[in-house]
Amino acid sequence: MTGVGADRSSGSTGSTGEGERADRPSRIADILASVGAPVFYVLSTVGDVFKTFGLAVYYTFRGKKRWDEVINQCYQIGNRSLVFITVVMAFLGMILIFQSGLQVKRITGDFSQMGAVYLPLLIRQFSPIIGALMIATRVGTGIAAEIGSMVVTEQVDALRMNATQPVKYLIVPRFIAGIFMTLVLVVYSTLVSFLAGMLTAHVYFEVPYDTFWDISLVRWADLLIGVTKTLCFGMAIPVVSGQAGLAAFGGSEGVGWATTAAVVNSSLAVIMLDFVVGGVGFMVFPTN
Amino acid sequence: MIVFDDIHKRFGPKLVLEGVSLTVAKGRILFIIGQSGVGKSVLVKHLVGLLRPDSGRVFLDGVDITDYSEKQFYPVRKRCAMVFQNSTLFDSMTLLDNVALPIRKHKRLRDKVARREALGKLALVGMENEALRYPADFGDGMRKKVAIARALTLDPEYVIFDEPTTGLDPISANIVDRMIRDLSDRLGVTSIVVSHDLKSIFSVADRIAMLYKGQIRLDGTPEAFRRSEDPVVQQFISGSPEGPMEV
Ligand SMILES: Nc1ncnc2c1ncn2[C@@H]1O[C@H](COP(=O)(O)OP(=O)(O)O)[C@@H](O)[C@H]1O
Ligand SMILES: [Mg+2]
Repeated sequence: MTGVGADRSSGSTGSTGEGERADRPSRIADILASVGAPVFYVLSTVGDVFKTFGLAVYYTFRGKKRWDEVINQCYQIGNRSLVFITVVMAFLGMILIFQSGLQVKRITGDFSQMGAVYLPLLIRQFSPIIGALMIATRVGTGIAAEIGSMVVTEQVDALRMNATQPVKYLIVPRFIAGIFMTLVLVVYSTLVSFLAGMLTAHVYFEVPYDTFWDISLVRWADLLIGVTKTLCFGMAIPVVSGQAGLAAFGGSEGVGWATTAAVVNSSLAVIMLDFVVGGVGFMVFPTN
Repeated sequence: MIVFDDIHKRFGPKLVLEGVSLTVAKGRILFIIGQSGVGKSVLVKHLVGLLRPDSGRVFLDGVDITDYSEKQFYPVRKRCAMVFQNSTLFDSMTLLDNVALPIRKHKRLRDKVARREALGKLALVGMENEALRYPADFGDGMRKKVAIARALTLDPEYVIFDEPTTGLDPISANIVDRMIRDLSDRLGVTSIVVSHDLKSIFSVADRIAMLYKGQIRLDGTPEAFRRSEDPVVQQFISGSPEGPMEV
């Protein structure tokens, strides 16, 4: 689930530029080390992510929550991603409907099923994953930068000195807000994209609005899969990004690494979760 | 008494501490000196469990605390306060709330009581009139004083100061030095001071330990340091750019 931690480690060992004439055993050792170090970093990062996830879940159900901070985080997440999501999802809706409209025109010329086919696809697949990837870039970086700079300025150490669990204090509010707001934003994404598609279909292919607005092909299973994915993404992004922040070290450069790691790792997490939930969903509710 | 026994610590491929053994006597002021990046901060963080050694033991008053859990370290952190290098006041809290935080968290007192105690501590460092302002309003010297007030709120037996005078103007630096001396003379507080400020070192320290290449190079009185013929020690205390030390 990490690429960046690995890049950094191999980068720092590789950048010495020495050992070009190294004798054989040490070169083999070098190769093993250069393969081993990234693998080690990947495994230890994955381990840390799961540990952080466990703690986040634990403290979500145990102890006092900072509800004012949860609300603040909800606001931050919404504020950071609303415009971005609106623009991207609207264009996505226009592009998809325009392109598939062109195909439909060439083959059958029957536009009546367009909206009906598009909506379940949007709910089950496009909207959760595109929305989550955008949230990962926009919100994940923010989380990693905030927490990372608290780590490198020793504020997290100061919290621990004052008997405060960093995951409980910093990640849990973002975890709760992340789950809730990802759901809200994905529902919103679906709506924006569908409406943009509806408008495109109307303008280019003269599909009446009420023909496009057809929810008959949406199964309960589509909703269930879409919501499950969204909830998983909503949990993964704050945990993975928060862990990247907590793992930061070494001044402002460290914060930079943490934000990059947050985007890469949470995007990877989103894609993998999409694959897993999608796969399980397909086995449980096969499409006919 | 604090005992570090053969502490080893590495970060990934990087060896930082390679067998550090050090004893800190009660009521005294020990300075840990050494170049930037030798691992002074890393070493002192082992005492309060912010970092864990790869091998070696840490004893506090004869009790082996090396394998304590995070929760078990909470009472240790009450007894051993730490003033961080960056002051690390929380920007989102007033000075008063910053100082009241340890009282609230460790003693679990009500807000009102905690604030009253905190105000008393701010008065100790002469900041009681600024209690409701935010850290961003102040310069490094004042923030450092507030950070020290926060460290003292729980009347710790041990205080770790990580580079308390680095980045301060000479006057603030002197005030901080005097506070450290007073704590030890008047309250019997044991201090561990990480520093490379030569003036503080020789005016405040009871004992000095020099960290070099992951080990203690010399551990002795200021007098012993002045008289040492070790070229590494000599170079450090004379600040000479030429010598065996790699910069
Ligand atoms: N969390 C960490 N991860 C990786 N390396 C670290 C970490 N903390 C410290 N280091 C490294 O350990 C070395 C010693 O750091 P430090 O104790 O802060 O030095 P100083 O003596 O200036 O206080 C530095 O080279 C630093 O890069
Ligand atoms: Mg330091």
